[in-house]
Amino acid sequence: MIDPKDKNLPEIDSEDPKASEHVNLSRRLFLGGSAALVGTAGVMATGVGSALAPSAAQASDSSSSNSHHTVGLGELDEYYGFWSGGHSGEVRILGLPSMRELMRIPVFNIDSATGWGLTNESKEVLGENHPLSGDSHHPHMSMTDGHYDGKYIFINDKANTRVARIRGDIMKTDKITTVPNCQAIHGLRVQKVPHTKYVFANAEFRMPHPNNGLNMDDVEGYYTMFNGLNAETMEVDWQVIVDGNLDNTDADYTGKYAFSTCYNSENAVDLAGTMRNERDHLVIFNIARIEAAVKAGNFTTLGDSKVPVVDGRKGSKLTRYVPVPKSPHGINTEPGGKYAVANGKLSPTVTVFELAKFDALFDDKIKPRDTVVAEVELGLGPLHTAFDGRGNAFTTLFIDSQVCKWNIDKAIKAYNGEEVDYIIEKLDVHYQPGHNHTTMGETRDADGKYLVSLQKFSKDRFLPCGPLHAENDQLIDISGDKMVLLHDGPTYAEPHDCMIVHRSKVKTRKLYDRKDPTFATTVAMAKADGVTLESDNKVIRDGKKVRVYMTSVAPTYGMNEFNVKQGDEVTVIITNLDMIEDVSHGFCMVNHGVQMEISPQQTASITFTADKPGVHWYYCNWFCHALHMEMRGRMLVSPA
Amino acid sequence: MGLLFAFISCLLTLSLNFSAQAATFSVSPQDDLQTILDSTRSGDQVILSEGIHLGNFTLSQAIELTGKTGAIIDAQNTGHALLIKATGVHIHDLRIQNWGTNLTNLDAGIFVSPKASNARIENNYFQGGGSGIWVDTSSGIKIINNKIEGDLSLRSSDRGNGIHLFNVKGALAQNNEVWHTRDGIYIDTSNGNQLIGNYLHDLRYGVHYMYSYHNLIKDNFTQNTRTGYAFMQSKFLQVIGNRSKNDANYGILMNYITNSTIENNRIEGVQNAQHPHMQKNTTRSNPEGKALFIYNSLFNNIRKNLFADSDMGIHLTAGSEDNTLSGNAFIGNKQQVKYVASRTQDWSHEGEGNYWSDYLGWDMDGDGIGDVQYEPNDGVDQLLWKYPSAKLLLNSPAVETLRWVQRQFPVLTAQGVIDSHPLMVAPDFMMHSTGPRKITDIVKN
Repeated sequence: MIDPKDKNLPEIDSEDPKASEHVNLSRRLFLGGSAALVGTAGVMATGVGSALAPSAAQASDSSSSNSHHTVGLGELDEYYGFWSGGHSGEVRILGLPSMRELMRIPVFNIDSATGWGLTNESKEVLGENHPLSGDSHHPHMSMTDGHYDGKYIFINDKANTRVARIRGDIMKTDKITTVPNCQAIHGLRVQKVPHTKYVFANAEFRMPHPNNGLNMDDVEGYYTMFNGLNAETMEVDWQVIVDGNLDNTDADYTGKYAFSTCYNSENAVDLAGTMRNERDHLVIFNIARIEAAVKAGNFTTLGDSKVPVVDGRKGSKLTRYVPVPKSPHGINTEPGGKYAVANGKLSPTVTVFELAKFDALFDDKIKPRDTVVAEVELGLGPLHTAFDGRGNAFTTLFIDSQVCKWNIDKAIKAYNGEEVDYIIEKLDVHYQPGHNHTTMGETRDADGKYLVSLQKFSKDRFLPCGPLHAENDQLIDISGDKMVLLHDGPTYAEPHDCMIVHRSKVKTRKLYDRKDPTFATTVAMAKADGVTLESDNKVIRDGKKVRVYMTSVAPTYGMNEFNVKQGDEVTVIITNLDMIEDVSHGFCMVNHGVQMEISPQQTASITFTADKPGVHWYYCNWFCHALHMEMRGRMLVSPA
Repeated sequence: MGLLFAFISCLLTLSLNFSAQAATFSVSPQDDLQTILDSTRSGDQVILSEGIHLGNFTLSQAIELTGKTGAIIDAQNTGHALLIKATGVHIHDLRIQNWGTNLTNLDAGIFVSPKASNARIENNYFQGGGSGIWVDTSSGIKIINNKIEGDLSLRSSDRGNGIHLFNVKGALAQNNEVWHTRDGIYIDTSNGNQLIGNYLHDLRYGVHYMYSYHNLIKDNFTQNTRTGYAFMQSKFLQVIGNRSKNDANYGILMNYITNSTIENNRIEGVQNAQHPHMQKNTTRSNPEGKALFIYNSLFNNIRKNLFADSDMGIHLTAGSEDNTLSGNAFIGNKQQVKYVASRTQDWSHEGEGNYWSDYLGWDMDGDGIGDVQYEPNDGVDQLLWKYPSAKLLLNSPAVETLRWVQRQFPVLTAQGVIDSHPLMVAPDFMMHSTGPRKITDIVKN
């Protein structure tokens, strides 16, 4: 009845690390002895025993104890992961494969720990009257010839229509640009080749132009724009008007094209309306033609903005529209640069475009749908696709709550009518994945080691902490034939997307350079006041304005006390003279809502009104020394 | 010439019906049908005579359009064959064929425009590449007794749906047969509709639901589809008396379905191996055709259904809690239950559980309820699937000992599902099985 030589017979894993030795021993003894019980069907012992192996994908199943993926105590991770913080407005750095959170980078949010949004230097980046919130989705690193170069990380703000840049050497935000005449920057990617000259940014929502309240009912007249930001200046170099709306975007590996998905080709303003069309589209942007149009002066401007605006609506030479089923969401270029994959969302299909055909499309030698070389079913709710560099793709299936591993070449064959199963494997994830990314997977260096799948719901995976739940970011080993789920990572709101970079690509500073541009304005102010930041501890009075310059060396500030008058506008400028890695200081003025970080060799400043007479203590709030508690001083405010 | 002929025949019929204020137009293939349609008034009747009427036609009046035996409307592979723009149109007993295949333009055999409510489409035969009937934002449409055949020469994803209902209210689709299109009935953002007695086979999805509330899905039959019934992001559905046979991936898929009733459905033979791409050259080793997939779905009543002969009986996950599951029968599935969650659920209700074909307990007090609880995923389901004849041994000391050992050494922990009142015999309704419905003979005009 049972062929013991049947290779499909599963085996009991007596090495199961979760089973105690007692249990393993008992089971081995039992299975060994069961032959006697069954008698003539002695061979069945193996069969019955193996049939008893766990059959379900257990909620608790994981192989995280696999030492191959363990980062030992004191060992460093192989990869940096840059995680967006969603509507927390920040960016986070994780180490992979440990999934330890290494750092948070405040970007669009107010951060009490570092004083981001409170210090004068951060306010200069954020701009006057900056919004107090943000919604960051898509972090992407600058590239040179399709390889990460570690220079910048760019991130969008959907909430307030901005794009920010994080400097790769200090991991701080150094520029934020508000994109004019648009609403809600969503999809964001960088130009990959020859280098990141542009950051491509999709404005998602269509709106009236001018948006002055006089033409709000002309819904058909609304439009939105695709934006090219200069990666170095962070100015918007040009804007392209499109039909439909803009969701996600990506670029090719020649530097010629960028392309964006659209889920609202209907131009609807209600939910039902956006669902109507069988196909929405991918809009392809011809970068050289856009640049030429701008150079030739074939553009307009909108309102007060000086940014050149070109028309890329249907019929334009600058764009092409390829119909894609149905409300497509993610668009991902594979590392070989040959194909891009649009993910169907409301269609169970992915659509594969052959990028080499885009030249012919722009030359009107082929029709838009001729660029499609495969359109195959994967499962329900495909949202984003990542790649292993070996010809396989990993697509998140939101509704099936799975990752689908499939082969691109086989998908093309199946689309051409060959009978091949292009799906390799489906893996349950928990629950409902959105973005996913592989290690180095959006560059030429995709190495196919790990896949991160970012789930929108954790449901019952973690200890409950009230009605609000964490997300669940899962790490999957994709180096072998089978995907192996390694790790569950609860995360706070809401990593939409991440990007995984080998540690060799990231070079950070231990200390600040005294010439760092992030505090150049403060250095210039000190110079005008005749103050040498690296040695002076001085109070400069300028009418009602008082500037308090002091140094800090653990465990003391350069001033034990300073005097001001009630009602003075006080600016405290601190320069951390410590030269030791990891000795950051803080400055907190009690009862004034004032606090900030001053890392080694950094200068930081913060301004407040001394509106209460009396003694007000200040202290260091980034732990620095055995006598950290003693690092404090008094502000003496005489009554007005 | 043709126009003149039509004009004369109009005059003749007009004189006959003058008192009723409604005209009857008889139209031959040589006539200009569009001009005649444009000249109609509400209540008129247009009868196509035998032969092929070529073109794309628009109905702007509440008329009755029908044909004599052998009357065919042929759109010559472009656009909609018929575009309905008026309320109260009645189209019946026609053959409609060769409409366009441009999905971007929503090409359809009959396209019902927004606000063209209360259309009645019945007893037609459709054959074409785009969608058979596409209903756009209207109410009270009735689609009855139609046969809709897709175009097998197109890739599945390049075909339209049989019946596509978008943003409609109060629609009735009854006793239609759909095959070889992409999905059978696609229904999106549409509340208060009824799908009754339709036969949907050889398709991607039989019934494809998206974001639609208060619908009745009754006595339908899906066969040889990739998914029989895909219910997504919807509430207050009544899913009663439907059948699924030999669908490949899912019998009934419930994703984010709440406050709904799933009752008296028969789901059989959901196996991945039915999928055309898996029959040859597959590298996949773990088929997971699911008779019932319950995902992030709560507050539903799932009673008296049969889930049988499938790769998986029921897969429940993502916080699907507070559902009532009782009186169902899970028979001969390779894996009876896949439960991905960490909190325990008891699938019995007020002392009544479900019937499990791999249940090995006993009923000493003869009340029809097993005396020990059923715990799925102890491996016996897999054993029976792989070695059906092992059933003979199930009451042997060997298997009992295995189970005893398992209880003593719970390496293979129960997955958080128990049935504390398992039924000893399958519920009665199982006995009233009817054979698969036959594809009715299709009268091709």
